Amino acid sequence: MSQKQLKRHDRSDIFIHWFNAVCWLLLLITGLALFSNPEIDPVGSGYPAFVRSLVGGGGNLLLIHVTLGFIWAGGLLLYIMINLKGALFFLKEVFVVSPARDIPWIIKKMVIMTVGPKPLGDNAKLPDQGYYNMGQKAFAQASVVGCIVIVVTGIIMFLSDRTLGAEATALVSWSVTLHYLAVGLVFAGLLVHIYMAAISPEERPGFLSMFTGHVPEGYAKHHHKIWYDKVKSDSGSES
Amino acid sequence: MSTKQAQLAMVIDSSMCIDCKGCMASCKIANDSPEGQWRNWVKHSVPDFTARFPKIHFQPGGCMHCDNPTCVQACPTGATYKDKKDGTVHIDSSLCIGCGNCIPACPYDARFRNILTKKADKCNFCAERREQGLMPACVDTCPTKARVFGDINDPESEASRLLAKNADRLVRVVNAKTDTKPNMIYLGETAPLNWPVEAKMPTAMVALTSVVNPLVRTVVGLSGIGVAVMLVRQLIAGSGSEDDVHDESGTDSQNKGGDA
Ligand code: HEM
Ligand code: SF4
Ligand code: SF4
Ligand code: SF4
Repeated sequence: MSQKQLKRHDRSDIFIHWFNAVCWLLLLITGLALFSNPEIDPVGSGYPAFVRSLVGGGGNLLLIHVTLGFIWAGGLLLYIMINLKGALFFLKEVFVVSPARDIPWIIKKMVIMTVGPKPLGDNAKLPDQGYYNMGQKAFAQASVVGCIVIVVTGIIMFLSDRTLGAEATALVSWSVTLHYLAVGLVFAGLLVHIYMAAISPEERPGFLSMFTGHVPEGYAKHHHKIWYDKVKSDSGSES
Repeated sequence: MSTKQAQLAMVIDSSMCIDCKGCMASCKIANDSPEGQWRNWVKHSVPDFTARFPKIHFQPGGCMHCDNPTCVQACPTGATYKDKKDGTVHIDSSLCIGCGNCIPACPYDARFRNILTKKADKCNFCAERREQGLMPACVDTCPTKARVFGDINDPESEASRLLAKNADRLVRVVNAKTDTKPNMIYLGETAPLNWPVEAKMPTAMVALTSVVNPLVRTVVGLSGIGVAVMLVRQLIAGSGSEDDVHDESGTDSQNKGGDA
């Protein structure tokens, strides 16, 4: 690559992203099979029984899911401890929204991605975006809030038959409901996330950056103009 | 019910019950129920003192291993399930998370949250004893043989014979609003009758099944459709479309109308 590269992700960022993705996959496979009730059947009626038979029963499945959950949450915690600066930078970039720029961006982007730019006419130009665009922010916000809900409700369910008394069962029961709700909503976003990141051609440099840590300058300027300008002016003033 | 599979059941002649509570004591010992918690009971009618000899009726009971078990509907994990092989309603305690959903869902208050294991507990028709070829402890103990246990789908069983002999005087104690089709069948008049309550699904479980589950399905479905539409557009428009794809080589990033 002849083009100059900009650093986008730290090694710990890359590690935690793929660690999180693998954990999510395994937690989804095991978690969806933990529901076994005629009224809730997210995947299909044979699925829970099938997964349970693979691991030697529902009790083992619960144990595997809970263990994976602790490994996942522990990994996230470790990342925050090791790279607190990175985590805070991520949170700031994700939760600071500039409505004047970001709302038109997300609306136009959705139109362009589904029906094409024609309906927008001359208005098809997207407002400049920062480190993350509004789509990435929305998904990341859902992920952060969702993951907090998932971890907290997961711990409550884990403690239910260990330390909690009978008076806490309403809390446990609501935890089941909220755990599923949070996973479901993040998963809905995840479908779009995976499409945008791995399948849609225009984000290819972004996809590669989740392995290399770098993006080409042209891509940064094009997709994340505000971030690009900031990096440029920062490095200009420092050197 | 199907005639081929077994349906273990208890046929009870409650007029024989003398309220000795032997069934309760033996059950507690056989199943290590903690202090203050019982898998079975002996209920009694309101004593009638107007007769020459005061009259009272005793009614032994426990989990009724229902054909339409509302406790199973309330359990999110399937820890509580109707065993198709023997018709019992069973708790897989390794899968039970002690959420307590099933407890108010039983019209008979047959379940409790075991204070030691912190999981749901109830009569399991003495599964451990049956495995060793023994009768349930309560049945074994009963001095008057008020409780008769067996497979009511097997016409040869004593329970079936009793049912056949008393076909016109069988009583199932049910709540009018929640008929769980219990497999505890009383012979002749029994009392009390109006004690089962309406099954109550915990609010969180109602929210899960009637709001959250349809919501999640809808949102995931819409998201899936969105991705499919984008994919189709990507395939039709091709990555060469200059509307939404910038110069991949990125050497110079002049804007081309779309993505900026
Ligand atoms: C096959 C699965 C996945 C792929 C291919 C993928 C790909 C990517 C890529 C390429 C980025 C970098 C975007 C950029 O900085 O330009 C990214 C960021 C991110 N990923 Fe993933 N990811 C996957 C799974 C997940 C999962 C399971 C989660 C969490 C539930 C997740 C959460 C995030 C978040 C919060 C970000 C930062 C915000 C964003 O870029 O949207 N990812 N992902
Ligand atoms: S009696 Fe109660 S606990 Fe037993 S099967 Fe029927 S509904 Fe479930
Ligand atoms: S407490 Fe009852 S409803 Fe909850 S998991 Fe255990 S058996 Fe199922
Ligand atoms: S069958 Fe066993 S568990 Fe059930 S009430 Fe009788 S002794 Fe107790």
